[in-house]
Amino acid sequence: MLQAHSLLWHYLWAGPNLLLLALGLLAIRRGIYREFPFFVGFSVIASIGQLVVYAADASPRVTPGTFWRLFLGTILIEGLIKFFLIAEIFGNVFGSYAAIAELGRGIIRVTAVVLLLSAVAGAAFARRDNSNWLISGSHLIQQTVFIVETGLLLFIFLFGWHFSVQWKPRSFGIAAGLAISSCVHLATWAVMANGGMFDKRYLLDFLNMATYHLCVLIWCYYLLVPHKKSTPPSVSLPENNLAIWNRELERLLR
Amino acid sequence: MNLAIFLVVSAAVALGIILHLAVKQSLQVRKSSSLAGIRPIDVEAFRNLANPAEDEYLRLRLPPAQFRVVRRERLRAMAAYIQVAGANAAVLVRIGEAALASGDAGIAEAAQQLVNDALLLRRNATVALLRIYIALAWPNSGFAAVRVAERYEQISGVAMLLGRLQNPAVPVRL
Repeated sequence: MLQAHSLLWHYLWAGPNLLLLALGLLAIRRGIYREFPFFVGFSVIASIGQLVVYAADASPRVTPGTFWRLFLGTILIEGLIKFFLIAEIFGNVFGSYAAIAELGRGIIRVTAVVLLLSAVAGAAFARRDNSNWLISGSHLIQQTVFIVETGLLLFIFLFGWHFSVQWKPRSFGIAAGLAISSCVHLATWAVMANGGMFDKRYLLDFLNMATYHLCVLIWCYYLLVPHKKSTPPSVSLPENNLAIWNRELERLLR
Repeated sequence: MNLAIFLVVSAAVALGIILHLAVKQSLQVRKSSSLAGIRPIDVEAFRNLANPAEDEYLRLRLPPAQFRVVRRERLRAMAAYIQVAGANAAVLVRIGEAALASGDAGIAEAAQQLVNDALLLRRNATVALLRIYIALAWPNSGFAAVRVAERYEQISGVAMLLGRLQNPAVPVRL
């Protein structure tokens, strides 16, 4: 069951990508692309890219060299779109809060530069896991992309938590799915890129694919299932003895 | 392989933090907001602590070593005040966010202003705390947190206005 090219393996590779492609097309039909153009773009492009790589892997006519070139091209395009998607999530969550949006933009830019430099340094010092540069390079690029991606998403969650910002359900679902996927992928690609678990890599593939499937389901839930708007609770103000509050209220009501 | 171990542990920690925050966020949406979490603070006392003139007076009157001790005590007290102000602002952000969903234009407007002012206070409180911790290391450096006090007074007023708009029948005593 847990073997490469088993039925489960085929399902876990093709299934989530077909689902993601359907989600992207449904999102276009429902007009969700206006709110999340990069997420919709990501769902369509990443799923098609992965399906092409899957077809290349399954087809006996495709040479290993062609497969790895396709794989490298796909992860580069996917990685680029994901950074735009993270910027979209940030804008959607914090853009309407003038008081913190500028500060957040400044910090996230610095964070991105620091993460990128650290990730490049990590790739430079990593032990090559394969004599073929295309394979080891692809693994290191995956590791680099997921270091930056995980760091930026962690920053967004921490920044939102520090300021007690309430997420919109769709932004939250997209960010949560992407964050779970990037954390697990970071761990697995780090092991692969540094030459770990050489004989049991298919297990890491299964973990990656199963996690991705879960994340696609999270995205489907948050994007397609209507979320009821919470009714505002009546707020009763507690007793307090700050005279300044009264003074300020009078000033505001004048 | 050391790098791989470091990255796996980092990814696990990041995943743990993100899942924890995601669950907290989901619970926060379901939970009704209340002002019970707000702790009253004496703005005047904080103003006195943050007054640069008082610092200058102490600097002239006390020997340098004693001044540093007193200054550190005052900075710690200031930090305690600012932490409470920041925590109060976080509660007010949540209350304002909940009130934003109200159909009443007046309430929504007051709620929007409350959220913006509370976020600004939280931002100022964060920066002020950072500066206080730096000042604790160098007590002779100049530091004033008067802006935090001013911002706190302002959002307190907006919170009162929002409370009265939402519950006109309830007598508000703050």
